Amino acid sequence: MGKIVPPEAQKKAAETLISGVSNISGVEAEIVERSSGTGIRRTVSISCPKSDWRALAEMLKEKHKVDYCSMVTGIHWPDEGPEKNWEVIYHFLRMGVVDPPIIDGVVEPIETDPEDLSDIQIPLEIEVSICIPETDEPSVASVQDIWAGADWNEKETWDLVGIDFDGHVGMRRVLQPHETPVGFHPLQKQHKLRYHDFEEMYDDAQGFLRKPADSGKTK
Amino acid sequence: MASSDWLNLRGWIGDSVSWSMDNVHDLLPSEDVDLQATISPPPGIWPNDIVIGPIFNLKDGFAEIQPALEGFFSATLVCTVVFTTLMLTMLPIPYIERKFIGRLMDRLGATTTLRSLWVGESGVTAGEWWNQLPFGMGAPIGWLNGLLNSIWGNDHSLEAVSRVNNRSYHGYWFLLPGFFQAFADFTKFAGKEHIVPRNADKAVYEVAPVIIISTTVIVFAFIPFGPHYYISSPELSAIFMMAIFGVAPLGVFFAGWASNNKYTLIGGMRSAAQLTAYEIPLLITVLGVCVISGSFNIIEIVDFQISEGNVWNIFMMPLGAALFLVTMIAEVERIPFDMPEAEAELVEGWWTEYGGLRWGFMFMAEYMRCYAACLLFALFFLGGWEAPFQGTMESLPVIGSLFEMILSIIPGIAWMLGKAWLLFAVFVWIRASLHRVRTDQILEFGWQWLLPLSMVNLAIAISLRVFIWDDGWGIVAPLAMILLGVLGFVILLVDEDKEALESMKRPYSAHTVVKASPGSHVDSEAVS
Amino acid sequence: MAEMWISMGPQHPMTHGLWTLKVKVDGETVVDTEPDLGYIHRGVEKICESRDFTQITTYCDRLCYASANTWSHSYIYAVEDLLDVEVPERAEYIRLIAVELQRIASHLMWLGAYGPDIGNLSIMVWCLREREMMMDLLQELGGSRMHYNFPRVGGVKRDLPHGFAQRAKAKLSLFLDRIQEYEALFDESTIFLVRTQGVGYSKPEEMVNHGVSGPNLRAGGVNYDVRRAHPYSVYSELDWEPPVERPSIKGADCYDRYRVRVEEMRVSASMVLEALEKIPRGADTYHEPGDPAIIAKAPSRAPEGTSGYHHFEDSRGESMFYIAGGGEGRGKQPYRVSIRSPMFITIPYASECMIGYKVADIPAIMGSFDPCIGETDR
Repeated sequence: MGKIVPPEAQKKAAETLISGVSNISGVEAEIVERSSGTGIRRTVSISCPKSDWRALAEMLKEKHKVDYCSMVTGIHWPDEGPEKNWEVIYHFLRMGVVDPPIIDGVVEPIETDPEDLSDIQIPLEIEVSICIPETDEPSVASVQDIWAGADWNEKETWDLVGIDFDGHVGMRRVLQPHETPVGFHPLQKQHKLRYHDFEEMYDDAQGFLRKPADSGKTK
Repeated sequence: MASSDWLNLRGWIGDSVSWSMDNVHDLLPSEDVDLQATISPPPGIWPNDIVIGPIFNLKDGFAEIQPALEGFFSATLVCTVVFTTLMLTMLPIPYIERKFIGRLMDRLGATTTLRSLWVGESGVTAGEWWNQLPFGMGAPIGWLNGLLNSIWGNDHSLEAVSRVNNRSYHGYWFLLPGFFQAFADFTKFAGKEHIVPRNADKAVYEVAPVIIISTTVIVFAFIPFGPHYYISSPELSAIFMMAIFGVAPLGVFFAGWASNNKYTLIGGMRSAAQLTAYEIPLLITVLGVCVISGSFNIIEIVDFQISEGNVWNIFMMPLGAALFLVTMIAEVERIPFDMPEAEAELVEGWWTEYGGLRWGFMFMAEYMRCYAACLLFALFFLGGWEAPFQGTMESLPVIGSLFEMILSIIPGIAWMLGKAWLLFAVFVWIRASLHRVRTDQILEFGWQWLLPLSMVNLAIAISLRVFIWDDGWGIVAPLAMILLGVLGFVILLVDEDKEALESMKRPYSAHTVVKASPGSHVDSEAVS
Repeated sequence: MAEMWISMGPQHPMTHGLWTLKVKVDGETVVDTEPDLGYIHRGVEKICESRDFTQITTYCDRLCYASANTWSHSYIYAVEDLLDVEVPERAEYIRLIAVELQRIASHLMWLGAYGPDIGNLSIMVWCLREREMMMDLLQELGGSRMHYNFPRVGGVKRDLPHGFAQRAKAKLSLFLDRIQEYEALFDESTIFLVRTQGVGYSKPEEMVNHGVSGPNLRAGGVNYDVRRAHPYSVYSELDWEPPVERPSIKGADCYDRYRVRVEEMRVSASMVLEALEKIPRGADTYHEPGDPAIIAKAPSRAPEGTSGYHHFEDSRGESMFYIAGGGEGRGKQPYRVSIRSPMFITIPYASECMIGYKVADIPAIMGSFDPCIGETDR
C-alpha cells in the first residue's frame, strides 16, 4: 500500500503551527477538517487582521518553514458589512523541500518517507484570510520578497479584483491588456456579465441583442 | 576522356548543330554581293575615285562565323537540355523527402524499413502494378505483397493511426501516390503576393534571392550527369564549382539583413557563421579528393575512379567521405544543422519575410543545393556513372560479357541518378532521426573537430597518392583503408565512459535504456 | 552587437500557446526576459460566478485543453470540499483511472511538441500516435476526445464500459513498450543530450519559493508530490512512487525535466493497470449512470459563508480551486471561484531561468517546463 503521512502526526504539526501563530495578537487560527473524497484532511485556517499580516508572513516563513505560496485570491464583498468589504485569501503549502545533497560530486535525490518526517517537515495546507474594511482603495502588505511565488499572484489579484499590494515592485496588468482603463477590475461585483446565464446566451444565438465593443464611439 | 557511354549528348548536339549550320552554309548563295558604290568627286577636291561600300560574300562570311555560331548554339542547346534534365530529375527529390520521412515517422524506431516499396496506402497499392504484367506473371508478387502487408503492413487497427499513416492518397492512376504534391505546392507559391517589408532595404532585398538562386543554378553547369552529359568541364571545374557554391551564403546574409526583421538578422548571421565554418573543411576535403584523384576536373576524377585497377574513392578515403557528408549537410542547412532556419525559434529564419515565388524559388534552390551535394558525393566518392562492381562483374569468366552487354545498355546517367537519389534518402533519414544542434555547438564542432580532421584527411590523401599510388591502388591499400574506417567507426560507436553512466555524472551520460527493437512489444489480440 | 529586444510574439511556433516572450539579446545570449500573458484570458473565473456548480465542470475542461480531465477533477474535488460530499470508492477509482490516462496523454502531447523544438520531427508523429490510443480510452470513458465533462459532484458520469479493462491493458502494455522507442530516440542521441544537459538549471528550494511544483520540481531531486503529501482520491491505496530524477550539481536541467515526465508516463500507466485490478466490485461490473455505487447524492446549494478548496496534482504542477459559496441563484452558484494555475506561476520562473543562455536554448528551456497557455490565462 502507498505510504501516507500519519494523520496524528499531521494533527500534531498543525497544532504546533497554530499555537506558534496565535502568539501574534489579533490572529486566530484553527484546524478545519475538510473532505477529500473518501477521506478527510486537516488544514490550518488562519484569519489575520490587515496590520499584522506582514509579521505573520515572516513568522510563517522563518519559524514554521512554510515555503510555498500557492495562490492569492481577492474577493469583493460589497454586501457583507463594513468590516468585510474586501477579502484577501492566501493559500500556502508547507512542502518541506530542501535542496538535495551532493555527495562525491553526484547529487543524491531526496526520497522522503512520509511516515518518517520530523515535525517541521510534515506537509500542511494553510489558508490565511485577511478582511479589509470598506474602502475605495483596498490594499494589503505585499509578500513578494518572502515568497517569490506570490509575485504574479499578487499582480493577477490587483489586475482582476483591484486589491493593491503595498511594497510590490513592478505591479502591472498581467491577464488583461496593458491598455485596460485605470480602475477597471472586472471581478468586482458591480461589473456584470453580458449574459447572466446560458439560457440568455442561447436565446440570443445570433447576437442581435449585443452591441459591438466600440459602439457609441466616433470614428 | 576515358569513360564513355552511348548517351553522347554533347556529341549529338554538336553534330546536329554543325549539320544544320553546314546546311545553312550550303544554302547560302556563293556569289559575291556587290554593294559597292563609286563616287567620283570633282578633281579639285580629291584626285581619285572613292569606292565605298562592302562586297558581301555570304557564304564565306558565314563560314567565318560558323564556328562561333555553332559553339553558341550547341552551348545553348546543351544548357537547355541539361537544365531540363536537372529539373526533371529533381522532381523525385521532394517526393523522396516526403515519402521517406512519412514512413520514418510512422514506424518503429529510427531504422526504417524499405516497406514503402510494397506497402499501399489506404488500399491504393501503387495501383497493384503487378496485375499489369502479362501472362499473370504478377500473381506471386501480389501474394508476396499481401503477406508482407499482413506482417509488416500499414493498416492499423486504430482508425486514427491509419489516418496518419496513410496520407497523400491521391496519385495519378497507378503512378506514385502523392507525386503531384510538389506541383501543387509550386502553383501555390506562384500565386502568392510579393510583399516587401516596409523599411526593408529594397535593392538588397531583391538582389538576395537572385544571388542565391543564380549561383545554385550555375553550380549545375559543372556537374556532369554522365560522361557526355554536362554543360562545361574546364580544367579546374571542381574548384570553380565549389567557389560558386560558396557564394550563396552571401545571398543568405543579404536576405537576413535586408528584411528589416530581428529574426531574419539573427538567422542570417547564424547562417553566415555556420556556412563559413563549414566551407573550409569542405574545401579541404574536396582538395583531398582532387589530390588522390590527380586532377581538379570532375570528369577526370570520375574517370580516375572508373579506370582499371582503381576503386571508388570512398574506399580509399572513408574519413574524407564522412567529412564531405557532414560538411555538405551543414552547407545545405539541413537538420541537424538547420539552426539558421530553425522553425522552433525563428519561424523560418533568414527567409521569413519572403513570400510567393521568391520563397518558392529559394526553397527550390535549397533542394537544388541538396541535390548538388548528393551528385557531388556520387561523383567524388561513389564512382560517378559506374555501376557498382562494374569492373569485377565484367571480368567474370562466363557471364562477364553478358554483364558488359547489359551495362552498356544502361546509360551512365542512370547510375548517377540512382546514387544521388539514394544518397538523398540518407539525407532524409538523418533529418528524420536527429535533433538540431545549437549554433555555438555547430561552430565549435566545425572549427575544433572538422577542420583538424579535414587536414588529417588531406595529409592521408597526399601520402596515399605519393607513396602508394602506382598506376593502380592494388588490393592491400583499399582493404586497409576500409578496415581502418570500420575500426574507427566501431570505436566511436561504443560508449566509453561507463563510469559516468554508472554514477550519473554529467554531462552527456544517458540512462541505460532497454533498446527498442522490432517485436519488443507484444501485439495483443485484445486491441480492438 | 548591441542589445536588442526580440519579441517572440504571440504568433510563434515555439510558444506552445498564445503568449509573448520578449527577450533581450546580446548577440546570441539572453540577458533579460519579459513574458506577456493574457492573450486568451476568457474570464472563466467571472463566468463561473453565474453558473451552477454542475455547469462549471465544462468550463474547467477547457482551462488546459491538453489535460482536460485533471482540471475538471481538480474543480470537482474543491466543490466536494465545499458541499462536504463523500464520494463512493468505486467512483474514486474510476476518477483515478481517468486522471492518470489524461496525465499520460498530456505528457505525450508535451513530448511530441518538445521534439520539434529541439529539431527532431519524427517524435511528434510517434507521440501523437500513442496519444490516439489514450484518447480512444478516454473517449470510451468520457464520450469525447478532448473535453470530457467526466466527473460529477459526488462521483462520475458513467461507469467503465464493458471490456474497458481488457482494452486498457492491451493499449497500455503496448504503450509501455513504445516508450522505449522514445527513449532510444532521445537518450541515445548525443545531439539531444548536448542540447538539453547543462541548459536551464533550477534548484528545488528556489523552485518552491517561486511556486513551481509537479514534474518540474521532481526533476530537482525531491520527491514532493501532492498525491503523496496530501493524499486524495485513492492514491494511498496503490503501490507507487513519484518519479524523481537525479539532477546535475547545479540543479535540474532540461534533460532531467524530460526524464521525469517519461518516467511519470510509466508510473501513470502502471497506476492505471493496478487500479483496474483493485477497483471495488471488479472492473467488469457495470453500473448505470446515477447508481449510488458511482455517484453519491450531493447537495446542490452551498450556504453563504462556506468555502472549499483542494490541492490537486495536475500534469504540470499543483493546481487548486478555491470556491466561496453562497452566490447568486440562492446558493446554487458560487460567489467566487479562484483558479490556481501552475503554469501561470511557472512561466515567469522559466523566463528567468533562461537568462544567461543562448537564443537557441529558449525553446529547449521553455518547452521543458511544459507550458500550456489555456490554464495560464484562464
